Amino acid sequence: MIEDLQRLENNALAELQEASNQEQILLIRTKYLGRKGLLTGQLRNIAQVPDEQRALFGKRCNEIKLFLTSRIEEELNKQSQNEKENKLLKEKIDVTLPGRAIKYGRIHPITQISNEICSIFSSFGFSIVEGPEIELDYYNFEALNIPKDHPARDMQDTFYIEENIVLRTHTSPVQVRVMEKVKPPVRILSPGKVYRRDSDVSHTPMFHQIEGLLVDEGITFGDLKGILTLFLKKIFGQETKIRFRPSFFPFTEPSAEVDICCVMCRGKGCRVCGQSGWLEILGSGMVDPAVFKYVKYNSEKYTGFAFGLGVERMAMLKYGISDIRLFYENDFRFLRQF
Amino acid sequence: MLVSLKWLKDYVDIDLKAEKLAERLTMSGLEVESVKEIFPEFKGVVTAKIISVKPHPNADKLSLCEVTDGSKKYLVVCGAKNIKAGDVVPLAKVGATIPGGYTIKPSVLRGETSEGMLCSEAELAIGEDASGIMQLPKNMKPGKPLEKALDLEDTVFDISITPNRADCLSVIGIAREVAALTGKKIKMPKVNIKEISENIKSLASVKIMDAELCPRYTARMIKKVKIGPSPVWLKTRLEACGMRAINNIVDVTNFVMLEMGQPLHAFDFRYLEKNKIIVRKSKKNEEFISLDGKSRKLADETLLICDGVKPVAIGGIMGGLNSEVKEDTAIILLESAYFNPVSIRRSARKLAMPTEAAFRFERGIDPEGVVKALNRATQLIAELADGSICKNYIDEYPRKIRQVKNIKLRLEQVRKITGTQISAMEVTKILRNLGMRTTRSGKGIYLVTPPAFRVDITREIDLIEEIVRIYGFDRVPASLPNVSVGELLPNSHLKLEDNIRKIMNGMGFSEVINYSFIAPASVDSLLFPPEDERLNVVKINNPLTEEQSVMRPTIITGLLDTLKKNINNGYANLKIFELGCSFLHEKHGKLPKERNMFASLISGKKMENLWDYKSNVDFYDLKGCLENIFYALKLENITFKSDVVDTLLHPGKSCSIFLGDTPLGYMGEIHPHILENIDLKQVVYVFEINTDILEKHLKDEITYRDFSRFPAITRDVAFIVSRDMEADYIFNIISSFKEDLLENVEIFDIYEGKGIPENAKSVGLRFSYRSAERTLTDGEANIIHDKIIRGIVDVTKAKIRGEENQEE
Ligand SMILES: [Zn+2]
Repeated sequence: MIEDLQRLENNALAELQEASNQEQILLIRTKYLGRKGLLTGQLRNIAQVPDEQRALFGKRCNEIKLFLTSRIEEELNKQSQNEKENKLLKEKIDVTLPGRAIKYGRIHPITQISNEICSIFSSFGFSIVEGPEIELDYYNFEALNIPKDHPARDMQDTFYIEENIVLRTHTSPVQVRVMEKVKPPVRILSPGKVYRRDSDVSHTPMFHQIEGLLVDEGITFGDLKGILTLFLKKIFGQETKIRFRPSFFPFTEPSAEVDICCVMCRGKGCRVCGQSGWLEILGSGMVDPAVFKYVKYNSEKYTGFAFGLGVERMAMLKYGISDIRLFYENDFRFLRQF
Repeated sequence: MLVSLKWLKDYVDIDLKAEKLAERLTMSGLEVESVKEIFPEFKGVVTAKIISVKPHPNADKLSLCEVTDGSKKYLVVCGAKNIKAGDVVPLAKVGATIPGGYTIKPSVLRGETSEGMLCSEAELAIGEDASGIMQLPKNMKPGKPLEKALDLEDTVFDISITPNRADCLSVIGIAREVAALTGKKIKMPKVNIKEISENIKSLASVKIMDAELCPRYTARMIKKVKIGPSPVWLKTRLEACGMRAINNIVDVTNFVMLEMGQPLHAFDFRYLEKNKIIVRKSKKNEEFISLDGKSRKLADETLLICDGVKPVAIGGIMGGLNSEVKEDTAIILLESAYFNPVSIRRSARKLAMPTEAAFRFERGIDPEGVVKALNRATQLIAELADGSICKNYIDEYPRKIRQVKNIKLRLEQVRKITGTQISAMEVTKILRNLGMRTTRSGKGIYLVTPPAFRVDITREIDLIEEIVRIYGFDRVPASLPNVSVGELLPNSHLKLEDNIRKIMNGMGFSEVINYSFIAPASVDSLLFPPEDERLNVVKINNPLTEEQSVMRPTIITGLLDTLKKNINNGYANLKIFELGCSFLHEKHGKLPKERNMFASLISGKKMENLWDYKSNVDFYDLKGCLENIFYALKLENITFKSDVVDTLLHPGKSCSIFLGDTPLGYMGEIHPHILENIDLKQVVYVFEINTDILEKHLKDEITYRDFSRFPAITRDVAFIVSRDMEADYIFNIISSFKEDLLENVEIFDIYEGKGIPENAKSVGLRFSYRSAERTLTDGEANIIHDKIIRGIVDVTKAKIRGEENQEE
């Protein structure tokens, strides 16, 4: 009889092994453990078991029942786990399709460079200031020591609105406006749009300039060199070679043009630098006492320096853009690269 | 300005290589933009001596010449008549090339073999003379390459001269600079004039009517001149400097102008009526034909050089056709004058005649160079045109030309500006090399008189610039300024713009920058009604093109333009924005109104992922972005109103934006008429708001308010209202109750269609009630809620969905 029990257990386990889904397992459960099940049947027959074996028979029956119950439970769990997983697998999506998030926009390269420059000078303690784009002749020229009928006016071909109203040719008028209101020390940076009558691959009639001014007691040409060297190294890298050479601007004296070693050919000479190995990058100089006179600063007490640069030119050199007009075509194939 | 190295070497010894010299000049303020080597257009031509000339056996017009290059003899057939034994001539040997790309080959002319070709000036493009073989000096050694023998090779610098350096608009000027830089001596050309007994003062007179415009006028007379081509040396000098040779007289005046910086003019004396020169201002509408053959109407105040009857030149700008030097000119009246720089500049600009002469006069010529140049040119004319110089010269000098003397220079100031410890000795040495007279007038104080040609030096700071320029910018140690703290000037506007950029970026918008000037037609295409202020455009007086001739009154034009261009390039789905000024004309003599604007445009598909989102952008996409901006900037009190609508926009899909009571801008769909006008075929949504106003309302500080930790009670109600009732209308009713416990109301559903009467819609609102102090009971919430619902129904006559039929 005991042997029958053992066979029964073995059969049940073998069938469980074969079962591949929950239904089959449930059938096995009914077959062995159900009310009319085989094991239940055996138990029902316990009376026919000889006395000396009955205790053992009953014990085995219970053991097998417990064991099968737990095995079946185990199998059922396993099956339900499998089935859940199968269901998830059926929900599989194509993860390689592009995502649905909004594509991030781009900031115009001119703004990016301009912001970079402004933040460098902000860290030197410069305030960023703005002024009108359409200016009085007085602020754009006169107060910057560029009188009417002076040949220096040829340096900037001007758009006129009226005889005494111009599209500003540089952002220097902002400096004059600030100096009229603020006593030294003055440390300002004026970014913005400027306008000149010029149009070709390297000139657009509108472009962006950033001009800086620092006025205080004891400011020297050496300080101008120091600040601008530091700035250019921050923008173009520590190793950048820089040279200052004499030039002329009506509102500064002495005036210096600042060149950096050509970023394209590293000084060997190429088309971009006109074979010279150098690129003009900044105009600068010590503020001319005549300008201080216009804003009623005492030039015996105060000295200062000013500088200016073209943002487009910086951007062209930094990104390797050869046609300045691209900045204003707003072609997406251009804009999305920045 | 183009400057020949060889010419420079006439006045100063240069042992630097051309490139090195260019660098030195550049680093001292005369920027050399290019260095170019020039070569003659021929190759393989040598000097040769003629041994014999025999007639050609088979041709009358040809001769057979035997020539030698010193080592070998050549037989050359020649057609020219001006050669004889002993002449030294240019020989183009077999294999040589001559201008025009010809290569000399051995040839047979009428049975005689020619082993080369004897050349004329014209054939070698050295000169124009084609009448015979070019004659070289008899003492020239045969066998030398012609370019070496005639010294035809040169190096030309293109130097950019800044407007202050009038003194460098001449070869001698540059030579002086080189001398100062290298410590060499300058060698001025020697002038040696042999006069005849006839005195100019008995032959001609000069009268200056306006000493302000013409402080000095000098003249000489050269008689019996023979007009002809200039010699090769003169021509090559002029050509190297970019000037065309004309004839010996005109070439000399140009040569001396280039050499000394003093413009000169030569008159044919026979055309000067009454033998007089009168210098006066032009009369109104006076007309004059200048040398270039153009008739010009002169503005008043133009300085004219006249004879006893008529104008013969525009002073300092250009001579007249009526007195120009011609082939048969015999007597020259040569003018060398000083004209008022400002007057010349004004006239040259008005006449649009930026001539070489005007360029120099308006920058200021050397007042002491007037007579020097007059004499130099006189001598050259006499030499080259075989003329006789009349005795004496006329020098009308009614007004002393201002020259600055004894500028006070403080050594301490030099150091203060430059930031160097330059020594007194070095300062005085630099000044001396620059030709300045320096006297010491105290400890560290000098009185400096610049040479007359340095018209740009009038102040101490001008001297300091000269000193540090020659001292070398590279020798100035770089330092960092020792500055006081000072005032930080706030700029909330740039900060606002930067914030907007970042927010817009996050929402997928890209920044564009358009020109501030646009075409008048772009303004027209926006169909503004006549009273619209945006029709008061700011016009540019001198635009480059019609397309860029007015300042934009709105920045929308650029965005529409950008969309159009990108559609043409295959990018029809655009989300862009721009930050920039718009301009409005206000009043003559007043600066225009500049407004800082922020505008955005969307058009096309909602998303770039076409595989998923297929719908087009609509009004609410853009409105959401704008609301998000206001939310991010923590601006409350913004309203969108449909009752005032910009004419740019679709009347049914647009609104005005208000901040409190202040209009901020507008947003909506571009009016279909305008789209048609500008040929855009897809729907476009835009907004434009004024950031100056926005900026004024920004609040920097954040005040934290505690939030309620008690639960909220929500109630949903759907109202059936007229289709055109705006949501804001209902919201306004709700807020009129000023119910503190009503925490929030939002729309959860808008429905039109089945089950809803025609011309009506269902608006589903979710009310949430909450107290800051306690848990609200349903009863409390219901009392308030019912009051509000009743209020809405009273005012709007709305029906409550689900209760439509219960009433009555
Ligand atoms: Zn380069």
